Amino acid sequence: MKPRLIFSGLAGAVLASGLYLAASHPPDSFQGEFARIIHVHVPAAWVAFLAFGVTMVAGLVWLATKNYTFDHIASASAELGVLFTSLALVTGMLWGDVVWGKAWDWGDARMASTALMFFVYIGYLALRRSIDDSEARAKRAAVLGSIAFLQVPLVYFSVTIWRTLHPTPSIRPDGPSMPTEQLKAMLANLAAYTLVYVVFVVWRGQQSSQETLLEERDNFDLGPAGTAIEPPTLGTTT
Amino acid sequence: MRFWSHVAELVKKDLRTEGRSGEIFFVTIPFGVLALFLIPFALPNDQELLSVIGGGIFWVILLLFGMTLTFRHSETGAQRMLMSMLGMDPAARFVARVIASALLLLAFSLVLVPTVVILYEPITPAGWPILSVILVMVCLGIAAIGTLSGEVTIGLRNRTVLAPLLVAPLSVPLLVPAAVATDSLSSQGSILVPALIILFALLGVTAIGVLTARPLEEASR
Amino acid sequence: MKHVLSFEKVSIRLGRAPILRDLTLTVSPGDVIGLSGPNGAGKSTLLRAAATLIRLATGTGTVLGVDMATAGPDVRARIGMLAHDPAVFGELTLLENLEFVARITGQPEERALEILEAVGLRAAAYRRADCSSHGMARRVDIARLVLTEPKLVLLDEAAAGLDEAAVSLIATAIERTTIAGGAVILVTHDATYLDTVTNRHWRLVDGTVHEDAP
Repeated sequence: MKPRLIFSGLAGAVLASGLYLAASHPPDSFQGEFARIIHVHVPAAWVAFLAFGVTMVAGLVWLATKNYTFDHIASASAELGVLFTSLALVTGMLWGDVVWGKAWDWGDARMASTALMFFVYIGYLALRRSIDDSEARAKRAAVLGSIAFLQVPLVYFSVTIWRTLHPTPSIRPDGPSMPTEQLKAMLANLAAYTLVYVVFVVWRGQQSSQETLLEERDNFDLGPAGTAIEPPTLGTTT
Repeated sequence: MRFWSHVAELVKKDLRTEGRSGEIFFVTIPFGVLALFLIPFALPNDQELLSVIGGGIFWVILLLFGMTLTFRHSETGAQRMLMSMLGMDPAARFVARVIASALLLLAFSLVLVPTVVILYEPITPAGWPILSVILVMVCLGIAAIGTLSGEVTIGLRNRTVLAPLLVAPLSVPLLVPAAVATDSLSSQGSILVPALIILFALLGVTAIGVLTARPLEEASR
Repeated sequence: MKHVLSFEKVSIRLGRAPILRDLTLTVSPGDVIGLSGPNGAGKSTLLRAAATLIRLATGTGTVLGVDMATAGPDVRARIGMLAHDPAVFGELTLLENLEFVARITGQPEERALEILEAVGLRAAAYRRADCSSHGMARRVDIARLVLTEPKLVLLDEAAAGLDEAAVSLIATAIERTTIAGGAVILVTHDATYLDTVTNRHWRLVDGTVHEDAP
C-alpha cells in the first residue's frame, strides 16, 4: 500500500478519535456543550501558526537551494494557513457570540490580530498570483513570507501583552488549566489537525507544481530562444 | 564607508527628486489633511468624542496615507539596471530608500500633528515630547515595510493596489503600540513595552530588507 | 587579462527552460563584436548575462577575470551597459545625472560638465532629463561610458533612433574602449554598422551563438 495512503488513513483515524473524544467528554461547567467548539478552534489556530511558519522556512530553504519543491510547499502551506485561520476566526466568533454575547469585540487583541494575520497572508497569496515568472515569484514570496511571519508571535503574545477578553492559553508551562478529559480531547485534535495539514500540504504542493508546469508551457519558450516566433507569410494580396 | 556614501548619495537624489516633483508636498500631504478634515463629518457633533479618538486617528492617517509615499516614483527598468551597473549594493539602495521615505513621513507628520491638535483637540498627555521618539520609530517602520513591499511588487501590473494590501496589515505592530503608547502617557503609564515592540518590528523588517536586497534585485531584473 | 569575457558550456534560463544553451565563447581585449539575430533570439538576454545581471544556469563564465558565480557590485562597476531605453533620472538635470554617476563611482565631479560638453550637451546641461529628447538622454548614457571607462561595454541597440552625430559618438566611445584595452559587444540589425565598427560577428540562432568567419 502506498505510504501516502497509509499516512492519510492514519490522519483520518486520529481525526475520528479526536472528534469522538471531543464529543464524549463531560460538558464544561460554565460553557456547557458549546465548549466543544474549542476542539476545532484551538487546533485550527495552532495549524495556522504552523502553516505560516512552514511557509517562512520553506521560502528560506528555497532561497538557499533553489529547489522548487520548497516553493510549492511554501505556497500550499500559505493556502492552508489562510483556510485554517478562517476556521479559527469563524469558530472563535461563534464561541464568542454564545459565551461573551457578541461575535466580535474590538477589545480582544487576539481576535483582531488573528484577523490581521489572515489579511497578511491573503496579500501573500495575491502576490504569488500576480507574478508569472516562477523564479521571481518564489524569491519575492520567500521575502514576504519571512516578514509576514513576524505577525505570528504578535498574535500569540498579544494575549499576554494586552489582557483582554480572550482566555489566556490553556496549556501553559506551569500546567494546563482544563480538566483531564478535555485536555486529552484537545491534544488528540491538535495531533489530528497537524496530520491532516501534512496530508493536504503534500497533495496541494504537488498540484501547485503541476499548475506551474502548465503555466510555463503556455507562457514561456520551452525550447531555445526564438522558437515562439515564426517567419511571416503575409503577402500584399489576400 | 563606500556603502554609507552610496546611501547618502541616494538619499540626496531621492529627496531632490521629490522636491522637484512635489508629489508628497502637493498631493499626499493635502490629501491626508483633507482626510482628517472629513472624518468628523461622519461622526456625531461631539468634541469630547473627537478628543478621545484624535490620537488614534493621527496614527491611522499617518499609516494609510504615509504608506503611499513609500511607493512613490518606482524606478524604471533602465534606472534599476543603471544602479546595478554602477556597482551599488542593493542593501545600500534599500537603506537609502527607507531613510528618504522616513524623512518624508516625518515632514508629513509635522503637518498632521498641528492639524489634529486644531481639529480634534486631543487629550495632551503629560510628557508628550517623548512621543516624538515613538513617532520617529513608527516613521522608520512604515518606511521599511513600505519599501520592502514596494520591492516585492515592483513591475507588477496591480502594484498600486497590491502594495497597500501588503503594507497595511504588516504595519499593525507599529500602529497598535503607537496608539497604546499615546494612551499610556495620558494615564501616566509606561511606554517601554510598546516602544520595544515598535523597535522589534522595525529592526526585524530592516534586517529582512537588507538581507534579501540582493535576491530581490535579481528577481526584478 | 587574457579574456574580458568567457563562457564555457553556458546555458541561461528564463523561467525553467534553457533559452540559450551550449555557449562557449571568449572575448579578448580589443574585440568589437556585433551580435545579430532574429527578434526574440535572446540577444538582450545574452548581454544581461554578460553584465552579470542574470545568473548562469549551467556552465562557467568569467568576466574581467572574475568568476561570474561570485561576481558582485565591484565587477559590475567596471562593465558599462546601454539598454534599449536611456538610463537617466527624469527629475534631475542632464548634468546632475552625470554628477550623480561621478560621485557614486568615485570620479571627479568636475569631469561631468567637461564630458557633457564633449558629447555636445553643454547648452542642455541644466535641462531636466524628462524634458529632454531620447537622443539627448542617450548622449548622457554615452557620457556615462566616457566618465566611467568600463573595460567591457555592452550596447543593446544603442543607436536606435539616433541622428548621425550621435551614432558617430557611439563609434568614438567604442574606439576609446578598445584603445584602453577593453572590449565591446553590440547588438545591431544594421549591416553597414556591423561592417564598419565591428571586427567579429556573432549570430544568435536557435539559442546558440555562431561566429561568422572574418
